[in-house]
Formats: sequence, C-alpha cells, structure tokens
Amino acid sequence: MNLFGVMTISGTALLAERERAEILASNLANAETTRTPAGGPYQRQHVVFAAHRPFGMPFGEQLATMVDFSARGVQVDGVIADPAPPIRRFEPGHPDADAAGYVSAPAINPIEEEVNLMGAARAYQANVSAVQATKSMIASALTILG
Amino acid sequence: MSLIDTSYTAFLERYLDLASFRQTLVSANLANIDTPGYRSVDVAFQSELVWASFNDSYRQPLHPVVRRVNGLIERPDGNNVSLDREGLLLAQTQLQYKAAVELIRAEFRGILGAINDGKES
Repeated sequence: MNLFGVMTISGTALLAERERAEILASNLANAETTRTPAGGPYQRQHVVFAAHRPFGMPFGEQLATMVDFSARGVQVDGVIADPAPPIRRFEPGHPDADAAGYVSAPAINPIEEEVNLMGAARAYQANVSAVQATKSMIASALTILG
Repeated sequence: MSLIDTSYTAFLERYLDLASFRQTLVSANLANIDTPGYRSVDVAFQSELVWASFNDSYRQPLHPVVRRVNGLIERPDGNNVSLDREGLLLAQTQLQYKAAVELIRAEFRGILGAINDGKES
C-alpha cells in the first residue's frame, strides 16, 4: 500500500496501452498488405486486456487481491487475429489476383483503427496524469523530512 | 502519546494512509479503463477514517474495505470506469494528501518551536 506500488499499477497500464497502440499502428500500416509469411492477406489483430496483480507485490497482498477485488494493474492477455474473412476486390492486373481476377485484401477499416488509436492515446495520457499525481504526492511526503 | 507522537499526528498519519490507499484504487481504475468486464473499486473514505481513528486502533495496520462503485454507466463490454470520476478523485486525493502533509509539517514546526524556547529556528 505504498505510493511506489501505485506507480507500478499505472506503469502496467502505460505498457499495455503502448502495446495496444503498436498493434493498432500495425493494423493501419498493413491495411493493404496481401502477402504475409503465413500466406494470404494480413489479418487484423486484436489486443485483449486483463486485470492482474502488479509484479513485485508482497505475497500477503497478492493473496489478498486473489480473494477480494482490490487494486489491480492491467496486462495484455494476448493478441488474437480477427476471424473476419478478407475483402475480395476485383483487380485482374494485381499480381496476387486469383484466376477469376479477385484480390483478397485485409478486412481493415482505417477509420476504426484510427479511432481506437485515439482511445489508446487518451488512456495513456490519463495514466500519465495518475503517475504525475502520485509523483507529486511522494515529493510532498518527502518535505516532512526537512 | 509523547511530545512528538501526538494523537493529532497519529490521526494525520491515518489520513495519509487512507489517502494513499485511495490513490492506489483510483490508479488501478484508470489502469483498467480499457479492460473488458472490469468494475470500478473505491473505499468509503469518511467512514474508514472514523473506523481507523479510534484510540486503540492507531497501532493496528490499516485494513480498509474495498467496495465496488454503484451507479456508474456500464459500457457494452461490461467495464464501468468513468474517466471524469477518476480524474476528479485523482485531483482530490492528491490535494487531501498534500494538505495532511502540510498539517504534519506545521505540527512538527510547533514542537520544534517549543524545543527552541519559542524562537523560530
């Protein structure tokens, strides 16, 4: 229950939101990618968040968080591929076109990715504010010393 | 109770404990602003403070009850963290903490003044 632990919690969120922003940027960058090492067009990726106990917490506090709902950080539980089928576009001249002249393009809506990216940036900012607030509380506690 | 460790500073210590605990919960809520199914948690500050401030409970470790917050708007993914509420509590808790720190400093300055025979050091 010390203030450095609070910064750890906010830190997990900064890490998770940054990873989310990375994945969203990757979706945006690959919106037109038709070739991947696995074959076929790029598949849209989703980041799944889960609440977790922050690292470096004493065992007793970890146990307490398991039996009741107390302070938890966040972690990326996994990155999953969107099962949506690729969009088929008629482009007979395209090198990746099939026999009928259709190209399989990733089912990515750039607007949707951008809105999600804004959400990730806002959440990141909110957590930076939390870190700043905690930091100033620690600094003010230090003034008791002298 | 002694000269330096007065019941007033013990109370303020409790106040700081609770404020930093609340800061933990607010930070946890903000950290989980995008976690599906996460529910906001908080502590009943006033009643916990009264409970923690009985004379004989000063030496006991603080064990506040963490509660889920009711009456918040839930998003379709089951998350009910409100950025406005948490932002407001973040500012409020920070100011409460700093106020208590200032009160402790004033108390210690007063004691120091008594030690120094009333002369400001």
